[in-house]
Amino acid sequence: MTTESPYVIEVEHLTVSYHARAALLDVSVRIERDQLVGVIGPNGAGKSTFIKAILGFIKPDIGTVLINGGDAQKATGQVAYVPQRGAVDWDFPITVQEVAMMGRYQQIPWYTSPRPTDYQAAREALEMVRMEKFGERQIGELSGGQQQRVFLARALAQGSDILLLDEPFAGVDAATERAILDVLERAKEAGKTLVVVHHDLATAAEYFDKLILIKQRLYGYGTPQAVLQEDLLAKVYEGRLRIFRDVVREDAS
Amino acid sequence: MYELFIAPLTEVYFQKALIGGSIVAVVAGVVGCLVVLRRMAFLGDALAHAMIAGVAGGYLVMKMIFGLEAHAPGMLLGSLLAAIVTVALISFVARISRIKEDTAIGIMYTGIFALGVVAVSIFRHYIHIDLMHFIMGDILGVADIDLWVSAFVAAGVLTILIFFFRHFQLATFDPIMAASIGLPVLMLDYLLTTCVSLVVVSAVSMVGVILVVGLLITPAATAYLLSDRLDKMMGLAALFGVTSVVGGLYLCVWLDSAGGGAIMLFCTLQFLVVLAVAPKYGLLARWLRLRRLVPQQVVEDVLTTVLRHSGPTPVAVIKTYVHDDRGDLARALRQMIQDGLLRQAGEDYELTEKGDVEANNMLRAHRLWEKYLHAIGTPHEEVHATAHHLEHIRKGGAVDYLDEKLGKPDTDPHGKVIPGGSS
Repeated sequence: MTTESPYVIEVEHLTVSYHARAALLDVSVRIERDQLVGVIGPNGAGKSTFIKAILGFIKPDIGTVLINGGDAQKATGQVAYVPQRGAVDWDFPITVQEVAMMGRYQQIPWYTSPRPTDYQAAREALEMVRMEKFGERQIGELSGGQQQRVFLARALAQGSDILLLDEPFAGVDAATERAILDVLERAKEAGKTLVVVHHDLATAAEYFDKLILIKQRLYGYGTPQAVLQEDLLAKVYEGRLRIFRDVVREDAS
Repeated sequence: MYELFIAPLTEVYFQKALIGGSIVAVVAGVVGCLVVLRRMAFLGDALAHAMIAGVAGGYLVMKMIFGLEAHAPGMLLGSLLAAIVTVALISFVARISRIKEDTAIGIMYTGIFALGVVAVSIFRHYIHIDLMHFIMGDILGVADIDLWVSAFVAAGVLTILIFFFRHFQLATFDPIMAASIGLPVLMLDYLLTTCVSLVVVSAVSMVGVILVVGLLITPAATAYLLSDRLDKMMGLAALFGVTSVVGGLYLCVWLDSAGGGAIMLFCTLQFLVVLAVAPKYGLLARWLRLRRLVPQQVVEDVLTTVLRHSGPTPVAVIKTYVHDDRGDLARALRQMIQDGLLRQAGEDYELTEKGDVEANNMLRAHRLWEKYLHAIGTPHEEVHATAHHLEHIRKGGAVDYLDEKLGKPDTDPHGKVIPGGSS
């Protein structure tokens, strides 16, 4: 079962395809405990697919994903997930409190209602992201950053050690981005491993301990200094080099 | 009064219609909520149409093998099978070809409906199915067996939905998370489709093929306009289903019209009324909200006016400087006090701390825009008026960009001090 390995997520030779096109090709990466890891790469690079494979939501063509040493497809509930904002139906009749409670669904037996401890856990999770005052709001009535924080609360309420976030910073302003990052860092200090899909190279070095650079294949995994190399980025983002010169230089300074 | 309301209640056919219709409406409303939220409305339609093939098939098989005439459970089972085959064919075609799902639904349900119609007419001497009855339904002629069937279906489906409420809620709202915590998402999909099929099958004999989808989705959609929680939405949908049946049946007796039609007509009118007056998502509420919305421009103009006046400002002064042709000013002032931007000092208004920060930001934007206009060679007399329009453009770091570009100036072209930025 659970081996005492320093790695919480072990991906070996992962290949996932949609029809003839490989979304991920032979990706192998091992992610250590208590890290804030950014997944970067251009649009359509397979970043979301990578997250879904770790979740065990898609079956790889070949390769394995191990979560705490166990198969990802069977390791239900060890990984919590924060969806992309665009993937959520914001008109769904559901309140903030109910979304946070969803994080507890796995612990609630199917024949009972949520218990007082579940309400407690959901409230604590909302407090952690400072959304406890909005419990009765319908989720569509919140601002973009608040919506993101509610789903973060849901992931925290799940109590999993691994959190996967798909583009949490997309479409929020700078102050909100800070607030979200703050919650992520506190979660890391509480002993969670976070894997975050991120699109903004300019902030990647500042936000994350480790970066995964993918475009179908794995181009690099390591510290931002190691990954944000001009030659690597040039290979991944063909023809858009000019932008990265700045990134690389900023990083060097 | 007695004639209108009580007399119909003493008739057995009316009682049966009321009971049968209400049972079906309750369960259709509850299931319908999930159908609406999952955008499967068309599927309900497809299932209803596919049924006729199943009914004909069930009739034929039971008659040929067991010699039973119009065996209800046989026909029910046939309908279910036809519904499942239709769903399977739809997803098969959508998955393996470039045909999208809505087209696949359109092809399959008309095809299977046609198969049923042809079968019924070929075997018309052998099996006795009234196509008109099937298409229009006959709620005023509900048989006891129909009542029992729908009662069992309703009990079964409601039990499933109540027990697995959280499962259906999560699988509908966020299937990826549902799968990640180990819910059998695919099984739940099949279970829901089966429930929808059961409900449709039990409702067709009352309201007919064409109207059944309305009974499934209209009460649910009506409830959707009124609720922010799924459990509440389901309760309301059930309620609206029952009121549709009750209202529709009275309508049908009074107007001497077709039962199914009257029910759906009442149901639709009920939806339209709610659409108009729903407190949060209704048209009236939306219109009022838009009307009540204070234009940001008026708010910002008030802020800068009070700031420039420095100190408590009489309304008369604000009126001279704030451009207000829609009569928004009084409301704007009230709104700003509520938002903590202004406070009232006797008859006058003054800025709160928050208002002061906002006003200074505005002034800074205004003066930077003036500086910018001056720099790009705008005629002197136009600078103020144009900057007054442009000062409202502040999102996305526009003002800081100007500041940067102009080399962080201290004064505007008129020599006035540009306040420092803060957010």
